[in-house]
Amino acid sequence: MLRADSLRKSFGNVRATDDVSVEFGKETGEMVFIVGPNGAGKTTLVNLLTGHLTPDSGRVLLDDEDVTGLSPDERVHAGLVRSFQVVKLFEEMTVRENVRTAVLSQHRLTRSMFTLRDGHQEVEQTVAGLIDKFGLAEHADTVAEELAHGTRKLLDVAMSFGLDPDYLLLDEPTAGVSTREKAYVIDTIAEVSREEGVTTVTIEHDMDIVSEYADRVVALHQGGVHGEGPPDILETDDELRRLLLGVEQ
Amino acid sequence: MSNRSLPGLVSRDGETRVRVTKGLELTKRQSMLALVGLLVVFAIPDIATVTPSLQLTVVHQGLLFGLAAVGLNLLLRHTRLVSFGHAAFFGTGAYTAAVLAAKFDVASFSLLLIAAMVVATLVAAIVGYLSLRHTGLYFSLLTLAFGQLLYALVQGQSFFGSSDGLPVRPGAARQPLIFGLALDSEAYAVILYYLTVIILVVSLVVMWRLVNSPFGNALDAIGQDRTRAQFIGIPVQRYVWIAFVISGVYGGVAGALYAMVQQHVRPGPVLYFLRSGDILFMAILGGFQTLLGPLVGGVLLVFLQDVGRDVTAYFDALTGVALLIIVFGLPRGLVGSLRAGGLLAAATRDFRENPAVVGEWISAAVTGIVEATRNWLRDVQSILGVR
Repeated sequence: MLRADSLRKSFGNVRATDDVSVEFGKETGEMVFIVGPNGAGKTTLVNLLTGHLTPDSGRVLLDDEDVTGLSPDERVHAGLVRSFQVVKLFEEMTVRENVRTAVLSQHRLTRSMFTLRDGHQEVEQTVAGLIDKFGLAEHADTVAEELAHGTRKLLDVAMSFGLDPDYLLLDEPTAGVSTREKAYVIDTIAEVSREEGVTTVTIEHDMDIVSEYADRVVALHQGGVHGEGPPDILETDDELRRLLLGVEQ
Repeated sequence: MSNRSLPGLVSRDGETRVRVTKGLELTKRQSMLALVGLLVVFAIPDIATVTPSLQLTVVHQGLLFGLAAVGLNLLLRHTRLVSFGHAAFFGTGAYTAAVLAAKFDVASFSLLLIAAMVVATLVAAIVGYLSLRHTGLYFSLLTLAFGQLLYALVQGQSFFGSSDGLPVRPGAARQPLIFGLALDSEAYAVILYYLTVIILVVSLVVMWRLVNSPFGNALDAIGQDRTRAQFIGIPVQRYVWIAFVISGVYGGVAGALYAMVQQHVRPGPVLYFLRSGDILFMAILGGFQTLLGPLVGGVLLVFLQDVGRDVTAYFDALTGVALLIIVFGLPRGLVGSLRAGGLLAAATRDFRENPAVVGEWISAAVTGIVEATRNWLRDVQSILGVR
């Protein structure tokens, strides 16, 4: 279980995260969605959980172990992996090289100085498998910066799964993706995470996607937890509806 | 299994290749080029005896600064960090050898070299640890600052001979002993040169292995996106530090050899920040996107500076002019442009086989120009603040 314990973070006078305590992965492999209006502190929460930001107070617990003091790379090896809202790829590497970089890291081989980067059989097999699974085969040798937006998102997710996460935090994985591709991206994420028993925590603005895929929803507002529960709270919680959609009661 | 990683001949894709080290397999043409290159390098002492315009020490110095530039290039090409203080490590190596020889009568070539490596490792570890807390411009400025600090320290201490420097003459010996042999100065120069060439080849092979390893891959990742690299589990800070130290050790080895070649070191030529600039320039001149480029750049720049001194009083301007030509005309550097030359040859062949390919080229060129103009306009607009 990934747990935020009374996390607080302020930027100047703004309380971006205000005493947030939530749990993710109560059941292994659950799909949790974080919703909330702009400025609710969704990305800040993900940043705190993954070590991109240090909390002013509070703790992050990973399977009951305090990881608040661990650096992002140490958290990755502990099973906590994230993607970014604006896709971050190694732009001058091909799709295969991008995925390989992640898998080499997962195998803790990046410290190896005198083997060949493409010479590890088991890594190459994993890489080929991921490229297949995420439908990237035809782009395998394309340089990342030349990829279409949807493909970039998929590569980003493929790299994340290449790190063999227990918890995967996705910051708007469908942002900027065409409606047609959206379903494909989120379907793939759902399918692979179910297969591998990965708990996903996804920030999402598209409420149709949330109600269709969520096992549980956590709603944030003004830095705090507004409420959480099954996806139908999106229908039943009028206050939440007003916050999210501007729908009047 | 084990003999598969040994040098020798291997068969790959239906042709015989020369394996230098695991993964580095040269085609027939590449092997010929490498062989010719090596032969030329080996023949330099003989060539130097017949042509007065080519001096052995100049080539030797060029190779050594080139070696330092190969080290610097590990940071420049892979982690994308611009070190502006690499003379610090070159100078550290040079002064380690000089101090040990002049003050402690250490005469052994190998001992001087190893000591220089150790001290350069230490200095690079400290400078790197402090400089790498920042990236970009601040990193460059910090390396520059540490370089100048070292320069001032050596310049100001009589122990280091102040601005007069130190001789590299251990005790009664006129020069360091190579494997226990006291040689006359001509033989010493030639043998030291050949040792440099051997060390150079080994250093290049080691560097090739390093940059093609998973570690080198991680450095590339760090260079392309630091944040992402950390979030796929790469300990960015530690790896960049290790790369910095390795890069410094290359400088230290080069500096120690330089001290033994010159048999006298002064702070100006080995520690002053202009030397750092030279080393950086060598990498760019030769082509920092290549392994060999910095080495070629080193030889060429030292040669240019030497020849320039005889030709014109403004020889320093030569470096500037060369830099301008490279930046505007050959941004890939010399060795990088050779590859572009290969592309040109391929294009010529295409054209002979199918002249209609010109149509494709024109459309590609037009697209390129339109794209470039659009980018340029966008840049101008954003600079002027009109959108």
